[in-house]
Amino acid sequence: MTAGAPPTDATPMGGQPSGGQPADDWFERRLHWRGLMGALLHVRVPAESKTFFFGGITLFLFGVQVVTGTLLALYYKPTPAAAYDSVLFLTSDVSFGWLIRSVHHWGANLMIVFLVLHLLRVFFQAAYKFPRELTWVVGVGLLGLTMVFGFTGYLLPWDQRAYWATVVGTEIAGGVPIIGDTLLVLLRGGADVTEATLSRFFGIHVLVVPLALGMIVAVHLVFVHQQGLASPQVPDPRPPAVPTGRTKPFFPDYLLEEVIAWLFLLAILVVLASIFPAGLEEEANPLETPAHIKPEWYFLGVYELLKHVPRIVGILAPMVFVLLLLVLPFIDRNPEVRPRRRPLAIVLGILGIAVMVGLTIWGYVS
Amino acid sequence: MARRTLPRLVLAAPIAVVLLLLAAGTIAAQDPEPSLIPGPPAPTPIAHPAADGANGCADCHASLDGRQKAIVEDWRTGIHGIGGVGCADCHGGDPRSDQITVAMSEEAGFLGVPSRDQTVGVCGSCHSDAERMRPYGLPTDQYSKYWTSIHGQRLLAADDTKVAICIDCHGSHLIKKASDPTADVYPLNVPATCSRCHSDATLMEPYGIPTDQYATYEKSVHGQALITDKDIRAPSCASCHGSHSAKPPRSSEVVDVCGKCHTATQELYLESRHSELATAAPKCWTCHGTHDVAPPGERLFFHDSLPDYECTTCHQPPDMALSLDVEQFDTEADRRCDTCHHPESLIYSQVEAIAGALGGATDAQRRAEAKIAEARGLGMLVQDAEVALTEAKTGYIQGQAAVHTTKLTEVTVHTEEATSKAASAEALAQAKLDESLFRRRAMIIVVAVILANVAILFAIKRRIDRSRREQGQGAPPAT
Repeated sequence: MTAGAPPTDATPMGGQPSGGQPADDWFERRLHWRGLMGALLHVRVPAESKTFFFGGITLFLFGVQVVTGTLLALYYKPTPAAAYDSVLFLTSDVSFGWLIRSVHHWGANLMIVFLVLHLLRVFFQAAYKFPRELTWVVGVGLLGLTMVFGFTGYLLPWDQRAYWATVVGTEIAGGVPIIGDTLLVLLRGGADVTEATLSRFFGIHVLVVPLALGMIVAVHLVFVHQQGLASPQVPDPRPPAVPTGRTKPFFPDYLLEEVIAWLFLLAILVVLASIFPAGLEEEANPLETPAHIKPEWYFLGVYELLKHVPRIVGILAPMVFVLLLLVLPFIDRNPEVRPRRRPLAIVLGILGIAVMVGLTIWGYVS
Repeated sequence: MARRTLPRLVLAAPIAVVLLLLAAGTIAAQDPEPSLIPGPPAPTPIAHPAADGANGCADCHASLDGRQKAIVEDWRTGIHGIGGVGCADCHGGDPRSDQITVAMSEEAGFLGVPSRDQTVGVCGSCHSDAERMRPYGLPTDQYSKYWTSIHGQRLLAADDTKVAICIDCHGSHLIKKASDPTADVYPLNVPATCSRCHSDATLMEPYGIPTDQYATYEKSVHGQALITDKDIRAPSCASCHGSHSAKPPRSSEVVDVCGKCHTATQELYLESRHSELATAAPKCWTCHGTHDVAPPGERLFFHDSLPDYECTTCHQPPDMALSLDVEQFDTEADRRCDTCHHPESLIYSQVEAIAGALGGATDAQRRAEAKIAEARGLGMLVQDAEVALTEAKTGYIQGQAAVHTTKLTEVTVHTEEATSKAASAEALAQAKLDESLFRRRAMIIVVAVILANVAILFAIKRRIDRSRREQGQGAPPAT
């Protein structure tokens, strides 16, 4: 992918005043508009690229989460005394509060689904290889941040499920070797899940993670923009060169398809929110432990693993897995991108998926 | 004035005496109080030389055979061993000596194994001593209570040493605190402890006592709570019969016995016409049974089909005075209001009205429950409806309790409130169902709008693709 042609005829502001729509001219005179748009939009992508729009959909869902999350924050009160009632109020009494909360709930789940699909697509198409190693590393960071999003957001309704899942989740963090005890106190803001935990989870969920995620997504997108989309057929040339082969315009062709995918996702969100609205159990009661405590589905695999292996293994295994993901582009030196020519990576990938899916299903039914 | 009053008093006094005697006679005839054989005074605790930390008995016996060693070990781990109550405190002898001829000599006051009738005195000698029990905060009335029990009385009256004595429930050497969950006398374990003897048909045969109480109790609402749910608040045998003073409660006592726990219900019962009927009064057990108490419910009002009415169910010859034939209520299925109250009686219609009031409240609750379950199944939040339903249930329970007053107005005060609360719960749940329907309909419209947008974008895309093909720009090389 390369940037479009830079403006040639400089005006006092460097813009090109004629030849376009009046609005286009108006912006061009003031902002160097066409050069900016040319650099951002008027680029070409390999025609054989198959992204399935997973990354774009994840970005769209992040946007949905920002909008719905902001609306939820207008009513939410982050104290144990008021949190549950405020969630109940906004779900039951606020006009379309149920819709905002349910879309936020499903948006969170789908964001993780599409993030994982995006990761798997990049893995199987070997798009993490030269020159996109750093894009992959940043992407794994985004996965981690999204998990933190889910984990911190889960506590906020302050119902029994939220409270006890957080108790168990932070307990697992407390089992990390050497720093476990400190990490537990840091996460909970004390020895137990209390008001301090709710305050810091709220702060992390609505300030720290969105800002961090927004900035890192920007870096991720800048990387993608600089490197262009990978071809699933041909490795990028070394040293980098202008790709040859069939291409198509990013704007409007690719972006139009992307927006159609987003609209489908929006429809799915509306259907899920309407038919399966976000629930709310009884208010959190630290004195009454429910019979079955389970974390959210995306932590079920780790939860199930912990039941069958020594605690230390159960805690270290996911950490090692994430570490392996981070350094994957530097371990896998095979330049091939076609699946048939990288059997070991493909087999290991499928095995990894099978283990994760198997453990998650096992955790769900157990 | 005084002269005129005196003859009246002279006349009135014998009449009053006669009436009092008649009343006393009537009470005695109705519920005769068996005379108790007084128990012996508590003996003096066994005297022996101070051990001063030595325990020759345990030292020697621990080195004998396995059985003796186990006895010593039991004693050591038991509350007596821990608390410093030594062998000589119960068996006599000289604990300082390790010589059998000295330690276990008659001169040293060695008693050996106390006989079963002696044992009660041995235990009672210390446990009835208030000063000795003061540090442990233990009661000191067990000894005197024991002699009032059916066990103690039998021991006194017939020298029957097969009756339960202290060690049968508490153990002899491995004695545990009653608060120790592994103790036989811990509340959860009491039914099993009593049943060791009372379920033994051979042991009970001479006394003509049934042996199915444990099996019956185990299935009862009380047994389920205590044995199955491990709810320590539930009554065990001792809660109704007493422990040290164990005996079956008499008819005149049963309301107080049940009322120990069911305080509010007892008060309501005492307001009722039933409670005014003296010996003919239906008591708690008439409707609820004894060992087989089942959860209460509306089934207790009527038989499924009318029973065969016999005069003797409620009236006893020769004068056909009102008196319940308790055998009529032996089986659970016969513990019904219409066992006594005939369909043509005025009271029967009152019972019908009470049953109807409760039944109406139950129906309203069921309707609300069904609606709430339906709304919950659709993912709706039903907390407000559940609160209203809980209030309805509270009203219903109060109405159920008010049945013990036998007064329709007392019952309907609560059932009307329960019915109205259940109706509001149902209305709240219905509102959720309506809301859910609205969401689904609105969803169809929103999804249709989104798909229309998709269709428009597709059309634009096709137009762009076509124009590219026409311009031959379908696949230009990268620039």
